[in-house]
Amino acid sequence: MDTSVRRAAIAQLKSELLRTMRNKRFVFFTIVMPIAFYFIFTSSMDGDLTVDGIDWAAYYLMSMSAYGVVGSGITTLSQKFSRERSQGWSRLLRITPLPSWAFVLSKVIAQGLINLCMIIILFIIASVVKGVELSAAQWIESGLWIWFGSFSFMALGTLVGTIRNSDVVQVVGMIVYLGMSMLGGLWFPVETMSDTMRAIAHAMPTYWLGHGAWNLIGGGAFDWNGVFVLGAYVIGFVVLSSYIMRKQEAV
Amino acid sequence: MKDWAIQISNVTKVYKGKKAVNDLSLTVEKGSVVALLGPNGAGKTTTVSMILGLIQPTSGSVKLLGGDPKERSVRDRIGAMLQDVSVIENLTVAETIDLFRHYYKTPLPLAQLLQISGLTNERSKMASALSGGQQRRLGFAMAAAGDPEVLFLDEPTVGMDVTSRQLFWDTVKAMAGRGRTIVLTTHYLEEADQIADRIVVINDGRLVADGTPSQIKATTIGRTITFTAGSSVTNEVLYGISGVTDAEWNGRRVRLYSSDTDRLIAELIMRGVEMKDIEIQSGGLEEAFRSLVSSAKED
Repeated sequence: MDTSVRRAAIAQLKSELLRTMRNKRFVFFTIVMPIAFYFIFTSSMDGDLTVDGIDWAAYYLMSMSAYGVVGSGITTLSQKFSRERSQGWSRLLRITPLPSWAFVLSKVIAQGLINLCMIIILFIIASVVKGVELSAAQWIESGLWIWFGSFSFMALGTLVGTIRNSDVVQVVGMIVYLGMSMLGGLWFPVETMSDTMRAIAHAMPTYWLGHGAWNLIGGGAFDWNGVFVLGAYVIGFVVLSSYIMRKQEAV
Repeated sequence: MKDWAIQISNVTKVYKGKKAVNDLSLTVEKGSVVALLGPNGAGKTTTVSMILGLIQPTSGSVKLLGGDPKERSVRDRIGAMLQDVSVIENLTVAETIDLFRHYYKTPLPLAQLLQISGLTNERSKMASALSGGQQRRLGFAMAAAGDPEVLFLDEPTVGMDVTSRQLFWDTVKAMAGRGRTIVLTTHYLEEADQIADRIVVINDGRLVADGTPSQIKATTIGRTITFTAGSSVTNEVLYGISGVTDAEWNGRRVRLYSSDTDRLIAELIMRGVEMKDIEIQSGGLEEAFRSLVSSAKED
């Protein structure tokens, strides 16, 4: 990468980090809420509860970490892209030397860094406060799984962000985020669901994000199915959103 | 050969079957300050957007600094204040300007940008907390961040109060004084007159007049006298006559601009200026300008 592009992209990255962390809605919905849910639902349940042989506190830690990064990807990126387009920012940026790929990439990297921090914070809280015990490999592998998986929800965020009206984006983003989290079994385990609901859950990318992590801490084999499903979703989201954007920009 | 900042030739832009810009040709020399003047909807913004490469002309060609406006090397040397651009959320004034500084190879210092936009005291404020006029000045600081060779200002003073406006034009003048090319659009003749050394009048997507502010003023509020001058007639002689706002030579044919051609013709005859084939014109621009002035009043 050209040094001047790198300089610009790094400045953009820093600004994106600052902007996201200053966004109160973001901090509440994607950092405070998963932590609060985690405490509420691990404290109200029986301490010996297990799901598929996995200790509930560890199982639900994976659920809430996944839930947090899903929200971070969907709501933050969709809002940024939509608002910046409706407020003329993207137009202004097109006349600056910052290439548009560097602009998008710096947003994705910024969100990726934030997601990584969110996962680490949740893991630390769970291990220190709730005494969740996993092997070093399990901590790292499940953390990385959720982190890598989080990028597919950023792709979904850019898709939602193609909606022109940013107020609509906010509502749609929330519905998709909360709906997918609930239906995908991040709030309540799919094991407690009816057959129909379970079938629906299996179609949700959120389920596969959680499933890969639950699988890793339950001692299962690496979830190649999950990789395949999430990968397919990413390709679908990216193709669809770039198609829509190209259509919108064709003047 | 002249050093062109902008070359537009025979550019047409069709929107939904309507010609927003119609066969427009225009060249702008480096270092000049050009105002695109015209009523709302005349095609000024469309023209600027095409020069900037934001929209594609339906036909014709556009060159900015000798190249394609979409090239990074060209973008590094330009800056623009566009219409309908809001501030970026959750960044302070200084952070916003500094972000823009990092886009360019040779940015102006942050302190200088804060100073020229009159935002030094607001530097730590959130950009979204600024008043409308202050936000426009922030837009100017962002446009100037890369120390651009060509600066575009699309209706820059919309939303500014009188004080902001004055401060703004003083700053633009200072930029122009440093040899920068400035292209601005406005629908106020006074603004164009105050700042530009050339005014291009656009109406209905067509170029209807192009000249110095005094020429434009003369053609809008006054008339012209054209004649073939005798050998004793020089530029100095003509400018020495009161009532002459400008003189334009084309071989021995000279066109005088004046707000009162009746008095001027009397004066010319009284002084015994050698003239042949005298024509007194009302100027075809009057009508274009009447529509211009009337739409400016509506705002």
